Amino acid sequence: MNQQSDTNQTHFGYKTVDKDSKASMVAGVFHSVAAKYDLMNDLLSMGIHRIWKRFTIDCSGVRAGHRVLDLAGGTGDLAAKFSRLVGEKGQVILADINDSMLKVGRDKLRDKGIVGNVDYVQANAECLPFPDNHFDLITIAFGLRNVTDKDKALASMFRVLKPGGRLLVLEFSKPEIEALSKAYDLYSFHVLPKVGQLVVGDAESYQYLAESIRMHPDQDTLKGMMEDVGFEQVTYHNLTGGIVALHRGFKF
Amino acid sequence: MPMPQLLAGALELALNKVLALDPNSQKRLAELDGKRMRIKLQEMPWPLTFVFSSRIDVLMDQEQPVDCAMALSLSHLNEMQDPANISALIQDKKLSLNGDMHTAQSFAALMKELDIDWEEHISRYTGDVIAHESVRLVKNIHQRAKSHFLQLGQIIKDGALQEKQLVPHPLAIEDFSQEVNRLRADTARFEARLNQLEQRAKR
Ligand SMILES: C[S@@+](CC[C@H](N)C(=O)[O-])C[C@H]1O[C@@H](n2cnc3c(N)ncnc32)[C@H](O)[C@@H]1O
Repeated sequence: MNQQSDTNQTHFGYKTVDKDSKASMVAGVFHSVAAKYDLMNDLLSMGIHRIWKRFTIDCSGVRAGHRVLDLAGGTGDLAAKFSRLVGEKGQVILADINDSMLKVGRDKLRDKGIVGNVDYVQANAECLPFPDNHFDLITIAFGLRNVTDKDKALASMFRVLKPGGRLLVLEFSKPEIEALSKAYDLYSFHVLPKVGQLVVGDAESYQYLAESIRMHPDQDTLKGMMEDVGFEQVTYHNLTGGIVALHRGFKF
Repeated sequence: MPMPQLLAGALELALNKVLALDPNSQKRLAELDGKRMRIKLQEMPWPLTFVFSSRIDVLMDQEQPVDCAMALSLSHLNEMQDPANISALIQDKKLSLNGDMHTAQSFAALMKELDIDWEEHISRYTGDVIAHESVRLVKNIHQRAKSHFLQLGQIIKDGALQEKQLVPHPLAIEDFSQEVNRLRADTARFEARLNQLEQRAKR
Protein backbone atom coordinates (compact mmCIF):
# COMPACT_ATOMS: atom_id res chain seq x y z
CA MET A 1 0.00 0.00 0.00
CA ASN A 2 2.97 2.30 0.58
CA GLN A 3 3.45 3.08 -3.05
CA GLN A 4 0.01 4.67 -3.12
CA SER A 5 1.38 7.66 -1.29
CA ASP A 6 3.31 8.62 -4.41
CA THR A 7 0.24 9.07 -6.57
CA ASN A 8 -3.09 10.77 -6.30
CA GLN A 9 -4.96 7.52 -6.71
CA THR A 10 -6.07 5.11 -4.06
CA HIS A 11 -8.27 2.04 -3.73
CA PHE A 12 -11.97 2.13 -3.11
CA GLY A 13 -12.55 -1.55 -2.82
CA TYR A 14 -11.23 -2.79 -6.16
CA LYS A 15 -11.88 0.48 -7.92
CA THR A 16 -9.08 2.99 -8.15
CA VAL A 17 -10.28 6.47 -7.33
CA ASP A 18 -8.87 9.89 -6.57
CA LYS A 19 -7.62 10.15 -3.01
CA ASP A 20 -9.83 13.14 -2.37
CA SER A 21 -12.97 11.30 -3.30
CA LYS A 22 -12.27 8.16 -1.29
CA ALA A 23 -13.14 9.75 2.04
CA SER A 24 -16.53 10.84 0.78
CA MET A 25 -17.20 7.50 -0.88
CA VAL A 26 -16.39 5.70 2.37
CA ALA A 27 -18.65 8.13 4.17
CA GLY A 28 -21.43 7.26 1.74
CA VAL A 29 -21.05 3.59 2.52
CA PHE A 30 -21.39 4.12 6.25
CA HIS A 31 -24.17 6.69 5.98
CA SER A 32 -26.17 4.16 4.07
CA VAL A 33 -25.65 1.34 6.56
CA ALA A 34 -25.43 3.24 9.87
CA ALA A 35 -28.93 2.58 11.12
CA LYS A 36 -28.82 -1.15 10.68
CA TYR A 37 -25.11 -1.55 11.25
CA ASP A 38 -25.34 -3.60 14.46
CA LEU A 39 -27.93 -5.96 13.07
CA MET A 40 -25.80 -6.52 9.99
CA ASN A 41 -22.74 -7.15 12.10
CA ASP A 42 -24.55 -9.88 13.95
CA LEU A 43 -26.00 -11.41 10.83
CA LEU A 44 -22.87 -11.36 8.74
CA SER A 45 -20.43 -12.62 11.28
CA MET A 46 -23.10 -14.89 12.79
CA GLY A 47 -22.45 -13.23 16.13
CA ILE A 48 -18.75 -14.00 16.16
CA HIS A 49 -17.76 -10.33 16.05
CA ARG A 50 -18.79 -10.10 19.69
CA ILE A 51 -16.22 -12.74 20.57
CA TRP A 52 -13.53 -10.95 18.51
CA LYS A 53 -14.29 -7.73 20.38
CA ARG A 54 -14.19 -9.49 23.73
CA PHE A 55 -10.80 -10.87 22.86
CA THR A 56 -9.65 -7.34 22.01
CA ILE A 57 -10.77 -6.06 25.40
CA ASP A 58 -9.04 -8.94 27.15
CA CYS A 59 -5.80 -7.90 25.44
CA SER A 60 -6.23 -4.21 26.20
CA GLY A 61 -4.86 -4.13 29.74
CA VAL A 62 -7.27 -1.30 30.43
CA ARG A 63 -7.90 -0.30 34.01
CA ALA A 64 -9.55 2.31 36.19
CA GLY A 65 -8.43 5.85 35.43
CA HIS A 66 -7.19 5.11 31.91
CA ARG A 67 -7.84 7.39 28.98
CA VAL A 68 -9.01 5.39 25.97
CA LEU A 69 -9.54 6.35 22.34
CA ASP A 70 -11.93 4.08 20.42
CA LEU A 71 -11.09 5.21 16.92
CA ALA A 72 -13.45 4.56 14.02
CA GLY A 73 -15.60 3.51 16.95
CA GLY A 74 -18.83 3.58 14.94
CA THR A 75 -21.72 2.35 17.00
CA GLY A 76 -19.68 2.15 20.18
CA ASP A 77 -19.50 -1.56 21.09
CA LEU A 78 -15.99 -1.25 22.49
CA ALA A 79 -16.51 2.21 23.97
CA ALA A 80 -19.45 0.98 26.06
CA LYS A 81 -17.34 -1.67 27.70
CA PHE A 82 -14.36 0.62 28.16
CA SER A 83 -16.54 3.20 29.83
CA ARG A 84 -17.25 0.77 32.67
CA LEU A 85 -13.70 -0.52 32.86
CA VAL A 86 -12.02 2.90 33.20
CA GLY A 87 -14.58 4.09 35.76
CA GLU A 88 -15.42 7.65 36.78
CA LYS A 89 -11.83 8.81 36.86
CA GLY A 90 -11.13 7.49 33.41
CA GLN A 91 -12.22 8.81 30.04
CA VAL A 92 -13.31 7.22 26.79
CA ILE A 93 -13.39 9.08 23.50
CA LEU A 94 -15.46 7.59 20.74
CA ALA A 95 -14.11 9.07 17.52
CA ASP A 96 -15.39 8.51 14.02
CA ILE A 97 -15.16 10.36 10.75
CA ASN A 98 -18.84 9.83 10.10
CA ASP A 99 -21.46 11.74 12.06
CA SER A 100 -24.27 9.27 11.28
CA MET A 101 -22.29 6.45 12.86
CA LEU A 102 -21.33 8.70 15.77
CA LYS A 103 -24.96 9.61 16.32
CA VAL A 104 -26.10 5.98 16.33
CA GLY A 105 -23.27 5.25 18.78
CA ARG A 106 -24.18 8.12 21.08
CA ASP A 107 -27.87 7.18 21.13
CA LYS A 108 -27.05 3.57 21.81
CA LEU A 109 -24.71 4.33 24.71
CA ARG A 110 -27.18 6.80 26.22
CA ASP A 111 -29.93 4.22 26.05
CA LYS A 112 -27.67 1.89 27.97
CA GLY A 113 -27.20 4.54 30.64
CA ILE A 114 -23.60 5.13 29.69
CA VAL A 115 -22.95 8.82 30.27
CA GLY A 116 -20.37 10.90 32.07
CA ASN A 117 -17.04 9.51 31.02
CA VAL A 118 -17.64 9.11 27.28
CA ASP A 119 -17.06 11.91 24.78
CA TYR A 120 -17.88 11.89 21.09
CA VAL A 121 -15.54 13.44 18.58
CA GLN A 122 -15.85 13.59 14.82
CA ALA A 123 -12.31 13.04 13.62
CA ASN A 124 -10.27 11.64 10.78
CA ALA A 125 -7.81 8.98 11.87
CA GLU A 126 -5.18 10.51 9.61
CA CYS A 127 -4.97 13.75 11.57
CA LEU A 128 -6.20 13.20 15.09
CA PRO A 129 -7.21 16.39 16.91
CA PHE A 130 -5.60 15.39 20.22
CA PRO A 131 -2.41 16.43 22.03
CA ASP A 132 0.75 14.32 21.92
CA ASN A 133 1.14 11.53 24.51
CA HIS A 134 -2.51 11.68 25.51
CA PHE A 135 -4.00 8.16 25.59
CA ASP A 136 -3.21 4.98 27.52
CA LEU A 137 -4.93 2.87 24.91
CA ILE A 138 -6.14 3.27 21.34
CA THR A 139 -8.36 0.72 19.66
CA ILE A 140 -9.42 0.69 16.04
CA ALA A 141 -11.79 -2.15 15.24
CA PHE A 142 -12.72 -2.82 11.62
CA GLY A 143 -11.78 0.76 10.82
CA LEU A 144 -8.25 0.85 9.49
CA ARG A 145 -9.11 -0.73 6.16
CA ASN A 146 -11.41 2.20 5.40
CA VAL A 147 -8.73 4.79 6.01
CA THR A 148 -7.17 6.27 2.87
CA ASP A 149 -3.60 6.79 4.09
CA LYS A 150 -3.02 4.04 6.63
CA ASP A 151 0.61 4.96 7.32
CA LYS A 152 -0.39 8.50 8.12
CA ALA A 153 -3.17 7.26 10.40
CA LEU A 154 -0.87 4.87 12.26
CA ALA A 155 1.67 7.67 12.75
CA SER A 156 -1.07 9.92 14.05
CA MET A 157 -2.13 7.24 16.54
CA PHE A 158 1.48 6.80 17.62
CA ARG A 159 1.75 10.52 18.27
CA VAL A 160 -1.30 10.77 20.57
CA LEU A 161 -0.45 7.60 22.50
CA LYS A 162 1.33 7.98 25.85
CA PRO A 163 4.70 6.31 26.30
CA GLY A 164 3.83 2.91 27.77
CA GLY A 165 0.49 2.97 25.97
CA ARG A 166 -0.68 0.46 23.41
CA LEU A 167 -2.53 0.31 20.14
CA LEU A 168 -4.87 -2.55 19.24
CA VAL A 169 -5.93 -3.00 15.63
CA LEU A 170 -8.75 -5.48 15.06
CA GLU A 171 -9.25 -6.01 11.36
CA PHE A 172 -10.15 -8.52 8.71
CA SER A 173 -7.01 -10.19 7.53
CA LYS A 174 -5.71 -13.07 5.48
CA PRO A 175 -7.08 -16.53 6.36
CA GLU A 176 -4.23 -18.88 7.27
CA ILE A 177 -5.40 -21.73 5.10
CA GLU A 178 -5.77 -21.24 1.38
CA ALA A 179 -8.93 -23.34 1.35
CA LEU A 180 -10.54 -21.35 4.10
CA SER A 181 -9.55 -18.27 2.19
CA LYS A 182 -11.42 -19.47 -0.90
CA ALA A 183 -14.49 -20.48 1.06
CA TYR A 184 -14.43 -17.13 2.75
CA ASP A 185 -14.13 -15.35 -0.60
CA LEU A 186 -17.25 -17.11 -1.73
CA TYR A 187 -19.02 -16.09 1.42
CA SER A 188 -18.02 -12.47 1.26
CA PHE A 189 -18.53 -11.89 -2.44
CA HIS A 190 -21.77 -13.78 -2.81
CA VAL A 191 -23.51 -14.17 0.50
CA LEU A 192 -22.48 -10.84 2.00
CA PRO A 193 -23.79 -8.50 -0.71
CA LYS A 194 -27.00 -10.54 -0.95
CA VAL A 195 -27.72 -10.27 2.75
CA GLY A 196 -26.78 -6.60 2.47
CA GLN A 197 -29.36 -6.21 -0.26
CA LEU A 198 -32.03 -8.03 1.75
CA VAL A 199 -31.54 -6.27 5.07
CA VAL A 200 -30.48 -2.75 4.21
CA GLY A 201 -31.39 -2.73 0.54
CA ASP A 202 -27.82 -1.89 -0.32
CA ALA A 203 -25.75 -4.59 -1.97
CA GLU A 204 -23.12 -2.14 -3.20
CA SER A 205 -21.98 -1.13 0.25
CA TYR A 206 -21.42 -4.73 1.15
CA GLN A 207 -19.69 -5.38 -2.12
CA TYR A 208 -17.37 -2.55 -1.07
CA LEU A 209 -16.94 -4.26 2.30
CA ALA A 210 -15.90 -7.51 0.68
CA GLU A 211 -13.47 -5.74 -1.64
CA SER A 212 -11.96 -3.54 1.03
CA ILE A 213 -11.25 -6.65 3.10
CA ARG A 214 -9.31 -8.13 0.20
CA MET A 215 -7.32 -4.97 -0.39
CA HIS A 216 -6.30 -4.66 3.24
CA PRO A 217 -2.66 -5.50 4.10
CA ASP A 218 -2.09 -9.02 5.43
CA GLN A 219 -0.85 -9.79 8.94
CA ASP A 220 2.87 -9.32 8.37
CA THR A 221 2.49 -6.25 6.18
CA LEU A 222 0.41 -4.50 8.80
CA LYS A 223 2.91 -5.51 11.50
CA GLY A 224 5.66 -3.92 9.41
CA MET A 225 3.61 -0.76 8.88
CA MET A 226 3.13 -0.42 12.63
CA GLU A 227 6.84 -0.87 13.24
CA ASP A 228 7.67 1.68 10.55
CA VAL A 229 5.87 4.46 12.39
CA GLY A 230 7.57 3.59 15.69
CA PHE A 231 5.50 0.92 17.44
CA GLU A 232 7.50 -1.67 19.37
CA GLN A 233 6.90 -5.25 20.45
CA VAL A 234 4.34 -5.56 17.68
CA THR A 235 2.58 -8.93 17.66
CA TYR A 236 -0.59 -10.26 16.09
CA HIS A 237 -3.03 -12.97 16.96
CA ASN A 238 -5.15 -14.68 14.34
CA LEU A 239 -8.80 -15.22 15.18
CA THR A 240 -11.16 -17.60 13.42
CA GLY A 241 -8.43 -18.94 11.19
CA GLY A 242 -7.03 -15.52 10.34
CA ILE A 243 -10.29 -14.17 8.91
CA VAL A 244 -9.65 -11.55 11.54
CA ALA A 245 -6.39 -10.61 13.24
CA LEU A 246 -5.68 -8.56 16.33
CA HIS A 247 -2.44 -6.56 16.11
CA ARG A 248 -0.93 -5.07 19.21
CA GLY A 249 1.93 -2.59 19.47
CA PHE A 250 3.43 -0.45 22.21
CA LYS A 251 4.92 3.02 22.33
CA PHE A 252 7.86 3.30 24.71
CA MET B 1 -13.10 -19.77 18.03
CA PRO B 2 -11.72 -18.49 21.32
CA MET B 3 -13.66 -20.52 23.89
CA PRO B 4 -12.64 -18.49 26.97
CA GLN B 5 -14.29 -15.40 25.54
CA LEU B 6 -17.40 -17.38 24.72
CA LEU B 7 -17.68 -18.57 28.30
CA ALA B 8 -16.97 -15.09 29.71
CA GLY B 9 -19.67 -13.68 27.46
CA ALA B 10 -22.17 -16.27 28.60
CA LEU B 11 -21.39 -15.77 32.28
CA GLU B 12 -21.56 -12.01 31.95
CA LEU B 13 -24.91 -12.17 30.25
CA ALA B 14 -26.23 -14.55 32.89
CA LEU B 15 -24.95 -12.59 35.89
CA ASN B 16 -26.39 -9.35 34.63
CA LYS B 17 -29.71 -10.98 33.86
CA VAL B 18 -29.92 -12.15 37.47
CA LEU B 19 -28.81 -8.74 38.76
CA ALA B 20 -31.57 -7.09 36.80
CA LEU B 21 -34.14 -9.38 38.39
CA ASP B 22 -33.11 -8.53 41.93
CA PRO B 23 -33.60 -4.86 42.89
CA ASN B 24 -31.89 -5.35 46.27
CA SER B 25 -28.71 -6.42 44.58
CA GLN B 26 -27.98 -2.87 43.43
CA LYS B 27 -27.06 -1.81 46.97
CA ARG B 28 -24.63 -4.69 47.30
CA LEU B 29 -23.23 -4.04 43.87
CA ALA B 30 -22.67 -0.39 44.79
CA GLU B 31 -20.35 -1.52 47.63
CA LEU B 32 -18.14 -3.12 45.02
CA ASP B 33 -18.18 -0.21 42.59
CA GLY B 34 -14.80 0.17 40.89
CA LYS B 35 -13.39 -3.06 42.33
CA ARG B 36 -11.86 -5.92 40.41
CA MET B 37 -11.74 -9.51 41.49
CA ARG B 38 -10.12 -12.54 39.94
CA ILE B 39 -11.27 -16.08 40.53
CA LYS B 40 -9.28 -19.08 39.47
CA LEU B 41 -11.40 -22.21 39.48
CA GLN B 42 -9.49 -25.47 39.54
CA GLU B 43 -11.79 -26.85 36.90
CA MET B 44 -11.06 -24.09 34.42
CA PRO B 45 -7.83 -23.35 32.62
CA TRP B 46 -8.40 -19.59 32.61
CA PRO B 47 -9.09 -17.30 35.55
CA LEU B 48 -12.17 -15.11 35.42
CA THR B 49 -11.87 -11.42 36.24
CA PHE B 50 -14.96 -9.62 37.48
CA VAL B 51 -15.14 -5.84 37.17
CA PHE B 52 -17.88 -4.14 39.14
CA SER B 53 -19.71 -0.99 38.13
CA SER B 54 -23.42 -0.50 37.56
CA ARG B 55 -23.18 -4.05 36.25
CA ILE B 56 -20.62 -6.83 36.17
CA ASP B 57 -18.16 -7.25 33.35
CA VAL B 58 -16.41 -10.57 33.04
CA LEU B 59 -12.94 -10.49 31.49
CA MET B 60 -10.34 -13.09 30.70
CA ASP B 61 -7.62 -10.55 31.34
CA GLN B 62 -4.77 -12.01 33.38
CA GLU B 63 -2.49 -9.05 33.23
CA GLN B 64 -3.92 -6.19 35.25
CA PRO B 65 -3.74 -5.97 39.02
CA VAL B 66 -6.93 -6.77 40.94
CA ASP B 67 -8.14 -5.87 44.41
CA CYS B 68 -8.59 -9.47 45.35
CA ALA B 69 -7.66 -12.82 43.84
CA MET B 70 -9.14 -16.15 44.88
CA ALA B 71 -8.45 -19.71 43.91
CA LEU B 72 -10.78 -22.56 44.71
CA SER B 73 -12.72 -25.40 43.18
CA LEU B 74 -16.13 -24.97 41.67
CA SER B 75 -17.65 -27.19 44.36
CA HIS B 76 -16.59 -24.73 47.06
CA LEU B 77 -17.90 -21.72 45.25
CA ASN B 78 -21.36 -22.18 46.67
CA GLU B 79 -20.01 -22.36 50.24
CA MET B 80 -18.00 -19.24 49.66
CA GLN B 81 -21.17 -17.29 49.08
CA ASP B 82 -21.67 -16.96 52.80
CA PRO B 83 -19.18 -14.32 53.96
CA ALA B 84 -19.06 -16.10 57.31
CA ASN B 85 -17.59 -19.19 55.67
CA ILE B 86 -14.63 -17.48 54.08
CA SER B 87 -12.23 -17.74 57.03
CA ALA B 88 -13.08 -21.39 57.56
CA LEU B 89 -12.51 -22.18 53.88
CA ILE B 90 -9.14 -20.47 54.02
CA GLN B 91 -8.19 -22.38 57.15
CA ASP B 92 -9.20 -25.67 55.55
CA LYS B 93 -7.03 -24.70 52.56
CA LYS B 94 -10.03 -24.92 50.30
CA LEU B 95 -9.72 -21.30 49.34
CA SER B 96 -6.62 -19.23 48.78
CA LEU B 97 -7.09 -15.52 48.94
CA ASN B 98 -4.76 -12.74 47.97
CA GLY B 99 -5.57 -9.11 48.51
CA ASP B 100 -8.46 -7.28 50.02
CA MET B 101 -10.62 -9.49 52.23
CA HIS B 102 -13.37 -6.89 52.25
CA THR B 103 -13.83 -7.17 48.49
CA ALA B 104 -14.13 -10.93 48.81
CA GLN B 105 -16.75 -10.56 51.50
CA SER B 106 -18.76 -8.04 49.54
CA PHE B 107 -18.65 -10.31 46.54
CA ALA B 108 -19.79 -13.24 48.66
CA ALA B 109 -22.59 -11.11 50.07
CA LEU B 110 -23.68 -10.10 46.59
CA MET B 111 -23.72 -13.70 45.43
CA LYS B 112 -25.70 -14.66 48.50
CA GLU B 113 -28.17 -11.88 47.84
CA LEU B 114 -28.55 -13.08 44.28
CA ASP B 115 -28.80 -16.59 45.60
CA ILE B 116 -26.79 -17.98 42.78
CA ASP B 117 -26.19 -21.68 42.70
CA TRP B 118 -23.17 -21.53 40.46
CA GLU B 119 -23.06 -25.08 39.30
CA GLU B 120 -26.76 -25.24 38.74
CA HIS B 121 -26.52 -21.82 37.24
CA ILE B 122 -23.74 -22.61 34.84
CA SER B 123 -25.55 -25.65 33.59
CA ARG B 124 -28.80 -23.73 33.29
CA TYR B 125 -27.28 -20.95 31.28
CA THR B 126 -25.14 -23.19 29.22
CA GLY B 127 -28.39 -24.82 28.21
CA ASP B 128 -29.39 -21.40 27.08
CA VAL B 129 -26.49 -19.27 26.08
CA ILE B 130 -23.50 -21.43 25.37
CA ALA B 131 -25.54 -24.05 23.64
CA HIS B 132 -27.14 -21.31 21.67
CA GLU B 133 -24.00 -19.41 20.86
CA SER B 134 -21.55 -22.21 20.34
CA VAL B 135 -22.86 -25.71 19.90
CA ARG B 136 -25.81 -24.82 17.78
CA LEU B 137 -23.96 -22.05 16.02
CA VAL B 138 -21.12 -24.29 15.01
CA LYS B 139 -23.46 -27.02 13.85
CA ASN B 140 -25.37 -24.45 11.91
CA ILE B 141 -22.28 -23.09 10.24
CA HIS B 142 -21.62 -26.51 8.86
CA GLN B 143 -25.16 -26.84 7.61
CA ARG B 144 -25.20 -23.34 6.23
CA ALA B 145 -21.84 -23.69 4.57
CA LYS B 146 -23.09 -26.84 2.93
CA SER B 147 -26.31 -25.31 1.70
CA HIS B 148 -24.55 -22.18 0.50
CA PHE B 149 -22.23 -24.29 -1.54
CA LEU B 150 -25.12 -26.32 -2.88
CA GLN B 151 -26.97 -23.16 -3.81
CA LEU B 152 -23.89 -21.62 -5.32
CA GLY B 153 -23.22 -24.81 -7.19
CA GLN B 154 -26.72 -24.61 -8.61
CA ILE B 155 -26.35 -20.98 -9.60
CA ILE B 156 -23.09 -21.69 -11.30
CA LYS B 157 -24.55 -24.67 -13.12
CA ASP B 158 -27.47 -22.58 -14.22
CA GLY B 159 -24.96 -20.39 -15.92
CA ALA B 160 -25.95 -17.31 -13.97
CA LEU B 161 -22.34 -16.97 -12.94
CA GLN B 162 -19.76 -17.71 -15.54
CA GLU B 163 -16.50 -16.70 -13.92
CA LYS B 164 -14.56 -19.84 -13.59
CA GLN B 165 -12.49 -18.99 -10.54
CA LEU B 166 -15.66 -18.67 -8.50
CA VAL B 167 -16.31 -22.39 -8.49
CA PRO B 168 -15.01 -23.75 -5.20
CA HIS B 169 -12.58 -26.56 -5.67
CA PRO B 170 -13.94 -29.75 -4.06
CA LEU B 171 -10.79 -29.84 -1.96
CA ALA B 172 -11.55 -26.38 -0.66
CA ILE B 173 -14.95 -27.47 0.50
CA GLU B 174 -13.49 -30.61 2.01
CA ASP B 175 -10.91 -28.56 3.89
CA PHE B 176 -13.42 -26.08 5.11
CA SER B 177 -15.63 -28.88 6.37
CA GLN B 178 -12.70 -30.32 8.24
CA GLU B 179 -12.08 -26.98 9.90
CA VAL B 180 -15.68 -26.87 10.93
CA ASN B 181 -15.50 -30.45 12.17
CA ARG B 182 -12.52 -29.58 14.33
CA LEU B 183 -14.43 -26.70 15.80
CA ARG B 184 -17.36 -28.99 16.35
CA ALA B 185 -15.20 -31.52 18.15
CA ASP B 186 -13.78 -28.78 20.37
CA THR B 187 -17.24 -27.64 21.21
CA ALA B 188 -18.41 -31.17 21.90
CA ARG B 189 -15.54 -31.65 24.35
CA PHE B 190 -16.48 -28.44 26.03
CA GLU B 191 -20.08 -29.56 26.22
CA ALA B 192 -19.05 -32.89 27.74
CA ARG B 193 -17.02 -31.05 30.35
CA LEU B 194 -20.01 -28.96 31.26
CA ASN B 195 -22.21 -32.02 31.47
CA GLN B 196 -19.72 -33.51 33.87
CA LEU B 197 -19.91 -30.42 36.04
CA GLU B 198 -23.66 -30.60 35.89
CA GLN B 199 -23.66 -34.23 37.01
CA ARG B 200 -21.35 -33.38 39.88
CA ALA B 201 -23.64 -30.55 40.92
CA LYS B 202 -26.62 -32.90 41.11
CA ARG B 203 -24.79 -35.30 43.40
C1 LIG C 1 -16.89 -1.13 10.05
S1 LIG C 1 -17.08 0.30 11.05
C2 LIG C 1 -16.46 -0.24 12.60
C3 LIG C 1 -17.22 0.29 13.77
C4 LIG C 1 -16.84 -0.28 15.16
N1 LIG C 1 -15.45 0.00 15.49
C5 LIG C 1 -17.13 -1.75 15.24
O1 LIG C 1 -16.19 -2.52 15.34
O2 LIG C 1 -18.29 -2.13 15.21
C6 LIG C 1 -15.87 1.34 10.38
C7 LIG C 1 -15.94 2.78 10.88
O3 LIG C 1 -14.78 3.48 10.44
C8 LIG C 1 -15.14 4.82 10.21
N2 LIG C 1 -14.08 5.46 9.42
C9 LIG C 1 -13.80 5.27 8.11
N3 LIG C 1 -12.75 6.02 7.72
C10 LIG C 1 -12.34 6.71 8.83
C11 LIG C 1 -11.31 7.66 9.08
N4 LIG C 1 -10.47 8.05 8.11
N5 LIG C 1 -11.18 8.16 10.33
C12 LIG C 1 -12.02 7.78 11.33
N6 LIG C 1 -13.01 6.87 11.14
C13 LIG C 1 -13.19 6.35 9.92
C14 LIG C 1 -16.49 4.69 9.54
O4 LIG C 1 -17.23 5.88 9.60
C15 LIG C 1 -17.12 3.55 10.34
O5 LIG C 1 -17.89 4.02 11.41
